[in-house]
Amino acid sequence: MNKLRKSLALIATLAMASTALFACGDGSSTAPAASKADSKAAEESKAADDSKAAEESKAEEGPKVEFPDEAGSKLSVLSWTGDDLNAMIKNFAENTSYNADDIVWVQQGSKGQEAREKYATYFAGGDDADLLFLEADWILDYINNDEYTAPLTKLGFTTDDFKGCYEYTVAIGTDNNGVLKGATWQATPGAYLYRTDLAEQYLGAKTQSEMQDKVKDWDTFIASAETVKTASNGKCAMIDTLAGLWQVYQYNRSSAWADKDDKLQIDDYCKTYAELAKKCWDEKLVTKEDAWSDGWYAIGQDGSTMGYFFCTWCLGENSMLSNAEGGIKMKDKVDADGNVVKDADGKAVQEIDYDADGKVQPKNPDIFGKYDICNGPSGWAWGGTWFAVSPKCNNGTLAHDFVKYFTVTEDTMEKYALAKSEFVNSPKVMKKIVDDKSNKNPLLVSGDQFAILYDAAGKIDMTGKITAFDSQIKDKFNGVVTKYVKGEIKDYDAMIEQFKKDCGSIEGLVVE
Amino acid sequence: MATAAQRRIKSVSYAKYGYIFTAPFFIVYFIFMLFPLLTTFKLSVYGNGLSAKLDQAGTSINCFVGMDNFKTILTGGTDYKSMGIHENFVKFFGNTIIIWVGNFIPQICLSLLLAVWFTDLRVKMPGKGFFKVVMYMPNIITAASVAGLFLSLCGDSKYSVLNSFLLNHGFLDEAYMFASNKWSSRIIVMFIQVWMWFGNTMIMLMSGIQGINESLFEAAEIDGANSRQTFWRITFPLLKSIMVYTLLTSMIGGLQMFDIPFMFHTGNVINSHLETIAIFIYDYFHRDYLHPSYGYSAAASVILFVITSILGALVFYVQRDKDAIEIKKKRKAAAKEAKRRAARGGGFSI
Repeated sequence: MNKLRKSLALIATLAMASTALFACGDGSSTAPAASKADSKAAEESKAADDSKAAEESKAEEGPKVEFPDEAGSKLSVLSWTGDDLNAMIKNFAENTSYNADDIVWVQQGSKGQEAREKYATYFAGGDDADLLFLEADWILDYINNDEYTAPLTKLGFTTDDFKGCYEYTVAIGTDNNGVLKGATWQATPGAYLYRTDLAEQYLGAKTQSEMQDKVKDWDTFIASAETVKTASNGKCAMIDTLAGLWQVYQYNRSSAWADKDDKLQIDDYCKTYAELAKKCWDEKLVTKEDAWSDGWYAIGQDGSTMGYFFCTWCLGENSMLSNAEGGIKMKDKVDADGNVVKDADGKAVQEIDYDADGKVQPKNPDIFGKYDICNGPSGWAWGGTWFAVSPKCNNGTLAHDFVKYFTVTEDTMEKYALAKSEFVNSPKVMKKIVDDKSNKNPLLVSGDQFAILYDAAGKIDMTGKITAFDSQIKDKFNGVVTKYVKGEIKDYDAMIEQFKKDCGSIEGLVVE
Repeated sequence: MATAAQRRIKSVSYAKYGYIFTAPFFIVYFIFMLFPLLTTFKLSVYGNGLSAKLDQAGTSINCFVGMDNFKTILTGGTDYKSMGIHENFVKFFGNTIIIWVGNFIPQICLSLLLAVWFTDLRVKMPGKGFFKVVMYMPNIITAASVAGLFLSLCGDSKYSVLNSFLLNHGFLDEAYMFASNKWSSRIIVMFIQVWMWFGNTMIMLMSGIQGINESLFEAAEIDGANSRQTFWRITFPLLKSIMVYTLLTSMIGGLQMFDIPFMFHTGNVINSHLETIAIFIYDYFHRDYLHPSYGYSAAASVILFVITSILGALVFYVQRDKDAIEIKKKRKAAAKEAKRRAARGGGFSI
């Protein structure tokens, strides 16, 4: 046994030593991590090799991957959703020398919030974990904890590698000590999606830029909302839901929720938002529907709302905007033998039912495609998922290459953006896509959301505004404002008093 | 005279099988019931929070804090945290009582009425079995589905059944916030509780009524008693023990009410008029999973336990059989008297 262990160690050492030698060599040798020896890989990797080797030699100057490459271990990626990960694995395997089965999806729940709890349990269990998906809302829980995440420098990245990314995504991926621990492949800026027919009818806005003029800042937005209400006899509200308003407005803070001494900051922002929300609610500038309910989508069709605050991931063919436009026809997915594909629960898997021309078939053609997009009153983003590396990572090189493929290398990011119609985390790549006009969205009059969102993403500024308490404070704040707006709390002072009491139970936060 | 074989068989003890067969229950009970129960008591006197930073301040989960958690919950304090905890506890406790009383009284009345009808010899109701099943049905639907169902029936949305009916028929000008407003939401939750549980209570009361000797009812009928007299003079007094049981189980269940109040809301914010003690416990123990406040949660559980015990004892005290106690007392007095006489050396009294 000991002998076996020793010889394995020797082989591993030799293998590592040889990779080091390769990297110092002329760069024409095969990629070090490519364990696959089949001909496909050899052919495919050849083309990629030159650029890859060049990149690698460049990486030599920066920090090196400090994680081992354990033979036989696969890259375990912890995530709650396969949507992104499966598309990534497919795209990654198609364009690199790696195999799709080198990477495994370790599913943790089916929602971000579930994963948030399950990761900690998974780590306690001691199973293999290399990379983690972390959601914007709770990323700090994990990146502020060295037990769960390691700095990206250990994975061979420098902060300069992410210079090409949207700044706010880097700010969110940085922990409380200023160490970069999360990198994301996507930016999720949001915008205002509006019904063009109603905009023309009530506001006289015929184009995207005319509409943007009507909603360019909060004062103008509210003034327009009042106009819409009057013009529609109170039938149409400009804002879809209170939750939507909050989603946008929470990015409007000029400073952090807690100062450097972890003291809760209650400032004008709180009052401004509470009063804005109250005004919108009382004066019916917002509908009283609930986000994510059936009613939420119904108001988009019957003219109860002029539009929604949506972000990048709400605008796909079968997503929230599509639902708001009445939805599209779906059908049961069938495999090559004509059998209906079923999921783990035995339910038939659905897929989009395209017509003969490869177009989606709307259920409500009167409304479908009548929406368009404009920047709205302020820059904001919604959600987003970050990569982080586990301190127990044992597939260093593969993890490095995987993260690099989606977050650093522009060529491959563009490939992924086009393959999944993803808004990738690079203004340069997105600009190119916008300029090429390669994006066609059947849900929008203008047909392209990226042109607007490209601008919107640049407007988001999170520097110095992130604290470890954010998600909890925001939850509590939204809670008291909702109660204030609905009349459960009688006035603003009582609301702040309640807010302080609620925040009192946040561990480590000082409330005075 | 027993043979040797018989003697041997006699000496074989079957007791161990008894222990073996009952062991699974006890093992499960000790691990999953008794241990958590005792741990709850333990946690209630330990601190909150997990971080090492708080360890030094003496408030982490590893530190013994005595009755501090109870003090904070019951009396509050000067800092915002304590004030918040105390106020929440008082408010949530009030909500619990209101919702429980509001659902128990109509529930027991309805169940009693139906139970009497279903068991009455003179009421020849067709399809009794069918109704019993239908009335029990709501009880087997999961609470999550029920909450979802009622939210779509009478939620805040203008597309909810009740709102769209009222709006379409001109009773309302705009959607009424049934699920958010204080009393409408409470009444709906009370109604849901009644709707879910009256079938169960009815079955229990029916079994109680059926346990009463039928000849009593027949005798009453022959003596010319009407339905009301039969109910108040026979059924009701003899149903006392099962009523006490129903009251107790309902009270325990009511104080622990969680699912419907927790789920009956729109959006991400739980309706504060519906928040119960069980939600308080869940809130402090679970919602912020990285910083759980086990101490407050456990202390609140212990307080709830004490309150339940006191109320339970009270119910037993009020409902005790006074006649039986009187007879027992008399019997005891008589025995004493007899003893006293015997001690005095007196013989039989004539």
